This record gives sequence, C-alpha cells and structure tokens, in this order.
Amino acid sequence: MENGQENHENIQTEEIPDEFQCCVCLEILYKPVVLGCGHIACFWCIFKSMNTLMESNCPICRHPYHHFPNVCRLMHFLLVKLYPIDSARREKQVAEEEKEVGYFSPQFDDYLSESCGKTDLVLDTASPHSIPSEKCGSAGEGEHSSAVFPSISSSETKEDAMSKNLNFADEHTSASSNQVLITDLLCGICKLLLYRPVVLNCGHVYCENCVINPSDKLCRCPGCQLEHPNGYPNVCLVLEHFLEEQFPKLYAERKSASVERSARQIPATRDQDEAAGCKSLPKFDLSTWLTGGGPQVHFGVGCDYCGMYPIVGERYKCKDCKEKIGFDLCEGCYKSSSKLPGRFNQQHTPEHQFDLIQPLHVRNVVLRLQPERLEEDGSIGLLEYIDEDSSVEVEPQHPEEDSSETNSPRDNLRDGQAGNISSNDTREDQGGRESANRD
Amino acid sequence: MVDLARVQKELQECNRDVGVSGISVTLKGDSLTHLIGTIPGPLGTPYEGGSFKIDITLTDGYPFEPPKMRFATKVWHPNISSQSGAICLDILKDQWSPALTLKTALLSIQALLSAPEPDDPQDAVVAQQYLRDHQTFVGTARYWTETFAKTLGTEEKIQKLVEMGFPEAQVRSTLEATGWDENMALEKLCSG
Repeated sequence: MENGQENHENIQTEEIPDEFQCCVCLEILYKPVVLGCGHIACFWCIFKSMNTLMESNCPICRHPYHHFPNVCRLMHFLLVKLYPIDSARREKQVAEEEKEVGYFSPQFDDYLSESCGKTDLVLDTASPHSIPSEKCGSAGEGEHSSAVFPSISSSETKEDAMSKNLNFADEHTSASSNQVLITDLLCGICKLLLYRPVVLNCGHVYCENCVINPSDKLCRCPGCQLEHPNGYPNVCLVLEHFLEEQFPKLYAERKSASVERSARQIPATRDQDEAAGCKSLPKFDLSTWLTGGGPQVHFGVGCDYCGMYPIVGERYKCKDCKEKIGFDLCEGCYKSSSKLPGRFNQQHTPEHQFDLIQPLHVRNVVLRLQPERLEEDGSIGLLEYIDEDSSVEVEPQHPEEDSSETNSPRDNLRDGQAGNISSNDTREDQGGRESANRD
Repeated sequence: MVDLARVQKELQECNRDVGVSGISVTLKGDSLTHLIGTIPGPLGTPYEGGSFKIDITLTDGYPFEPPKMRFATKVWHPNISSQSGAICLDILKDQWSPALTLKTALLSIQALLSAPEPDDPQDAVVAQQYLRDHQTFVGTARYWTETFAKTLGTEEKIQKLVEMGFPEAQVRSTLEATGWDENMALEKLCSG
C-alpha cells in the first residue's frame, strides 16, 4: 500500500487476502453484508443465494436467517480504502450488471466524498439516518488520537508498511484516502476502537458489549432503532482479526479493559440458546403452505425496511415507486415509523401510498404451470392440487423475483413465483428419479 | 448465466495445488460449462490406485445451483450408480451452498469413496452386496478399479499385449495407429 496514486495505476490487481474475498463470487467483497452468524459476502451474492420460498442459510455455516441484511458501510469503505483498484474494478462490473438486469444496489457515494475530503471525524456507524448524538465529539476524537498513536508506530504486524501510513499527524490534512484510521473503526456507542465487533441487520457496527444487553433479550440498533432479528449477532471474526492485526496494542488494551468490565457487569456465560430464542419469525413450513394452512408467505418478495425475505404475514406494496424492483414492506415495518431508504436504491418517500397484497396460493401457482410440462415431469404431487378452481385471480405483477432467480430456461417459461416453484419442483423430480432407491 | 469469472478462478485455484490434492479439473471442450474432474481413489480403499473421471455440467444457475456431476469412469460403490455413474450426495442436491466449489465438491466425492453410506444407496445391488457380502463387494470394487480406473503407461500397454502373445513391433505400431487405446488395439490385433 503506497501513498501515491501513480503507484497504484501500474499494478493491475491488488493482493486480496482470503478473508476479504467473497465466498460466493471469489472476488473482493463489494458492498459487503454481514449475516447474523458473522459471515460476510457481497450484497448481490447474498441476495442471489437467498431462498425465495423460505428461510435461507448462510452459505458458509448454514446458520438459518430470514432477513437480508443491509450493506455494512464500515466494511465497504474500509475495503475501498484498502484496495481502491480492485474495488473500483468491481464497482464498474457490478454497475454494468445492474444496468443490464435493471435492479440496483444501494448507492452511497455521498458518504465517500464526505469521508475523503472532510477533516471532521466521520463515523461509518453514523449513517444519515442515525441520530445526531451518535457522532463523536471532537474532544473524544483528540483523546483517541493521542492514545492510539504510539501503538501504531510500534506495530509489528505484517502490515508494517501500511501502519507507517497511519500517521495521525496528518490525519486532518492528508487527502489520500487509502489510509486506515482508527476513526474508521470506532464503535458508535463507546466511541472507542471496536472491540469484538458485531454487525447488526441494519449494517451498523458496534462492540459486542456495547450493543448486547443480557437483561434485554431484544437487540435493537441504537442508531437507526431497527431491531436485529433472530437472536444476538455473532462477532464478525474477519473484522475482529483485521482490528487485531491493524492496531495490535490498542486492541489488546481494549481486550484487557473489557475483560475487567465484563467480569463486573455481565454474567460470565451468555446462554446462546436463550439468545437464539429471542424474537424470531414464525417458522415457515412448506407442507403447511401446500395444504393451505400456516402463515401467509409472499414468495420472492422482501421487506425493504427490515429485509425479511420472503415476507411472512401481510405485505404492503408501494403504489408510487416506479423502480422495476418495487418497494414492499412487511406488516411490522408498515406499522412502525422507521423511515429507511429501500434496499435497492429505490426513491421511496414517506408520501407514497401502499396497497395490501394477497399472497399467491398454491392453486394459482400450479395453474400457471404449463400443462405439458407437468405431464413430462410427472409431478403427481402437484397434479393433486390442480382441481376445478381455475378462476382464482393471480396478482399480476411480481417484478422482484427475476433478479434473485437464475435465468434458467425453464424459468423463462413463466414469470414470477410460478416460475420459481416449478423450477424447484423439476429439480426435485430429477433428483428423485436419479436416486430412486434412496428413500 | 453461469458466473464464468468464478469458474475461471476456480479452475486456476484448483489446478494450482493439484500436486497436493491430486484433484484436477479440465475443460471438456471449448465451453466453460462442460468440465472433467479427476480424483485419485483414496488410499486404503478398494479404489486405491484408480483415477476416476467425473463429468461436470454447470447449469445457468451456478454457483447458486449445484453443478451436475456424474462418474464417467465405471465404479462399484453403494452411492454411485454402476450403470449411469449418478452420484447420491446431499451437497450435490439440496445441501449445496454457493460457498462450495468444484474442488470442494470433488473432495466430497472422494470422501464418499472412502466412506460409503449403504443405508442411503444409489445402487441397490451394490448396497446389498456391501451389507451382506462385504468380501465380495471389496473384490468387485477392486476389480472395477483395476479394469476401468487404471491408466497404464505406454510401456505397460505394450507389455500387456506382448504378454498376450503378439509380437512387440506389431503391438507398438497398432497401438500407435489406434492412439494408444489398448482395447481398440487388441481388437485390431485379433482381427488382423
């Protein structure tokens, strides 16, 4: 990592450590999202790997999750700073892909320009939507700088060269954007270097001890007030490792300090089961859905506030959003007052009107399958559901599905959920035939 | 669309440490969607010494859908069809994750060779034999490995045919003519 931009232009690609490589596209993480289990992947990689029909599983550890997390801006800008060339390359690639399919990931260029030129402390956790008190005061900042400086100069990690660039003396004058500063990695609550960082569903990063209160089973983001679903988040080990390597002394100090603190305040063991038991969605069961019981599930449609995907329960669709991907809310978010931007860069405003949308029922789905396909697949299980009732109206527009779906030819036969269902069933049938002896 | 950039990266990555893992992936034709994987038979199993070829087809959904894998080499194993080469392995079906790669999938298949699951069989005949007459199973599996999964060197091929009683010069020229296909050469030698 050199200071000069000229040096970078000669190098085609940067050496990306494995931990900053997306497990799905095998490229550098671009607009990373962090799942509740602490694993990271690109925004689109996670979105595409999510299950449109039910709960999804982490690609790495298979930990179940139901909410598509927001992009972790702290990590995004960290990566852009560390690997400007590869990040720019990916940005261009992804922008082209997005243009092609017509769905867009969240844009936050405003933040970038802000963080480059601005001399003020810029906190990633302080998104435009977080409350103003989140931002660090200048007094706190000075304190950190002085505390941190010696530890950096004595850094003995392999990133020595980089550490030399972490010169706080010119923190406020240097325009160069590829220096990792401690101010890029502060917790929004304690205003100190992140210790055991956890990334919430909203994409904000805090110290584990700051945001998790064992007496309160609910974990809510202090910045944007969004609730973190499905238990407590796990520590993001990639980020923790980076902090440890980058600021070894300070991190060790934070460690010893927090050991003392936690010994005083927090009971030694946090019951993981108890944590997991806190506020989670009703489990979706395909069989109850097939038989018509169970909760309403809106396949392939996600909530733009909390990220629940697919939406279980009532679905509210924005009438005024013109974007191809649409704008939808789950019941809880519709009734809450939180006003976040859409997940896919929609230009939604609070003045927009909503429609309550009925989910697709199994009959409708089956009726939309092409009969000849059913015959050749011999999907007996599905045929049972094709009965007299052919007059059920199907809600005409489901623009969201296509983005998440693979463009396999059989999906092109139909649009919307029917396509998803049938492709899934076809696959199962093939599997079933191959392993005829299996069951 | 298949993520071609990812497939290319996977190929590079896999073929970089082929010396360690013994697992390689090569192109079948010009397309990146049809590939051939090669795994060595695990040591200490009836498959030891064999080199097994696996036919890989990538669907449009890859890596969000599993790659289609099938044994191209005949193999005697409870979870692999002795007829079609179809593989019964959960990660190639519903347990696939986009974080898995061709290499990890091939490694899993290699692990399947060392640890058959006769209770969840693909080939019922093999599975029955595995459970009821293990000795015969091991014998058959080893015989199939010897017959179908061994690639002989050129000298070994010559040696084999010479041992059958054909003159060495003729064996050599016939083998060369048939592109070192020993079966075709044998046919030719017998008829000629």
